[in-house]
Amino acid sequence: MPSVATLPKSGAAGAQTAADAGILVVDGIVKQFDTPEGPLVAVDRVSLSVRPGEFLAVIGPSGCGKSTLFNVIGGLIDRYQGAVTVGGETVRGPHPAIGMVFQEESTFPWRTVIENVAFPLEIAGIARKERLEKAKRFIALVGLNGFENRYPAELSGGMRQRVAIARTLASEPKILLMDEPFASLDEQTRLLLGDKVLQIQQDLQQTTLLITHNITEAVQLADRILVMTYRPGRVKRMVEIDLPRPRSSDVVSSEAFGRYVAEIWSDLREEATRGMQDEESRTLHAGAAS
Amino acid sequence: MAEASRLNLPAAPNTGAKPRTVGRAEPVLVVRAVIIVFILLFWEAIAQSGLLYRDVVPSLLAIGAAIVKLLSAPDYYWHLWVTASEVGAGLIVGGLSGLLIGLALGGNRVLSKAFEPYLYYLGPTPKIIFFPVMIMWFGVGPGSKIAMGAISCFFPIALSTAAGMRQIDKVLIRVGQSFRASAWQMATKIYLPAMRHPIINGVRLGLGVAIIGTLLAETKLSNQGVGFLIIQAYSLFDMPRMYAMLIVLFVLAIGANALVGRLGGLSAIRQL
Ligand SMILES: Nc1ncnc2c1ncn2[C@@H]1O[C@H](COP(=O)(O)OP(=O)(O)OP(=O)(O)O)[C@@H](O)[C@H]1O
Ligand SMILES: [Mg+2]
Repeated sequence: MPSVATLPKSGAAGAQTAADAGILVVDGIVKQFDTPEGPLVAVDRVSLSVRPGEFLAVIGPSGCGKSTLFNVIGGLIDRYQGAVTVGGETVRGPHPAIGMVFQEESTFPWRTVIENVAFPLEIAGIARKERLEKAKRFIALVGLNGFENRYPAELSGGMRQRVAIARTLASEPKILLMDEPFASLDEQTRLLLGDKVLQIQQDLQQTTLLITHNITEAVQLADRILVMTYRPGRVKRMVEIDLPRPRSSDVVSSEAFGRYVAEIWSDLREEATRGMQDEESRTLHAGAAS
Repeated sequence: MAEASRLNLPAAPNTGAKPRTVGRAEPVLVVRAVIIVFILLFWEAIAQSGLLYRDVVPSLLAIGAAIVKLLSAPDYYWHLWVTASEVGAGLIVGGLSGLLIGLALGGNRVLSKAFEPYLYYLGPTPKIIFFPVMIMWFGVGPGSKIAMGAISCFFPIALSTAAGMRQIDKVLIRVGQSFRASAWQMATKIYLPAMRHPIINGVRLGLGVAIIGTLLAETKLSNQGVGFLIIQAYSLFDMPRMYAMLIVLFVLAIGANALVGRLGGLSAIRQL
């Protein structure tokens, strides 16, 4: 990666202006889908700049375009306006520095756990022995030792999600995009795994973007939180989380932590209410039409 | 799946590639054995009662003797080999073209809209109506039999390949892309393994109809092959021999089907 990695981590709150400082810069992204009911703007003029090694959480009501934004950044969607640059390089198609964990179930059912995790290494042409050893390490990291030779169908949903996380981690991306990776996990596993991911992130100085619906999780893990509006998905607010690390239980129970949670919660409630009203009027119209 | 039911194809098995529980198999085997024994007894009762002509319903003993005689005649194996190689060649020709056409239809919405309806209409049509044409094109020898086998298995294989390609979980494709897999890696490590169930299923159905198509053609016009032998036994009114050949054929067809299923099961477990 270019020299941007040496920039100081604690930046100003208005990071959009310091676009050149970002390892990942998203500039004026507009993505529109053609649907049977006409064009639908999923992402509307979203700009942000992510600092090297930063942990950015993305939060917003369901259907606001978070996954779409990630797919644009990951180079998996084309025909959008605006530009995404990674280390100054414009993204056209999947970028080698970016690793993605998808929201949907994404393990390969015909591969065992270890073969799943070794997949990116296999694609990169790493020798079998070496890639299996490396895969084992990442399987242990997500707490799945002993399940190496099981098929995904033999695992629980949460375990499969951990396989998907390990698989992306095994490719050791500089920038990690995770779309609700902990959604299907129980509270305890989620905390443990969140800690693990955070630890890896801090160790490797990995730039991480995490979509979540869990405000506490976002405040606990992130350096900044991007709050998005309900359709069309815009940047509602960028919240700098100015809390010390490591965020132990003292920090989590502190008053400052609670204030962040309350603040984001009120932002989100506004958007979620708007979303619900929108859905309701839509179904009412649909009902009246038929 | 809607496509499959129109053709009366059994639905592709679920992607969870787990073998059935072994404990369950035993009651099934018992039921199966009981039914078979019952049918045999019923058959023997009719044979002994003389309600129908003895020659039409020969006793099990006569059929058993005919099976032994059939299997000890080297001549039979030559005819079996002729039929098997015709079916095999038909399956290869029809299967490969079905796979290619299926991939094209599954991957391209316009092509699929334009041509797939014809496949659905032609699929259930008895292929024997093409036999006169095939004789004119490929002659009265094995060529026309291979062509009949190929036409028969082309349809189910093409249709299940196309349906299988459309059913691939899109997120798996995105996983491959995001790890920057090459086109070849996408094909061999994602598309093909993801489509293994519908393809194997198509090959199984294709094998069945290829056997039917080939045998039917042999019974119509030929001087070699198992279909020819069956028709010959029929015209000589050698019923025990005819039944013996039907039974042997039935067992062979089950064996071939099981073999294809087994190969599919293995390739599902081994990584491709
Ligand atoms: N391929 C597509 N074609 C048409 N519309 C789409 C497509 N993908 C997404 N959309 C629409 O775009 C909007 C945003 O979808 P997206 O999946 O990005 O939401 P999200 O914020 O990730 O929601 P969630 O939190 O529920 O996962 C939704 O209204 C969705 O219906
Ligand atoms: Mg989403």
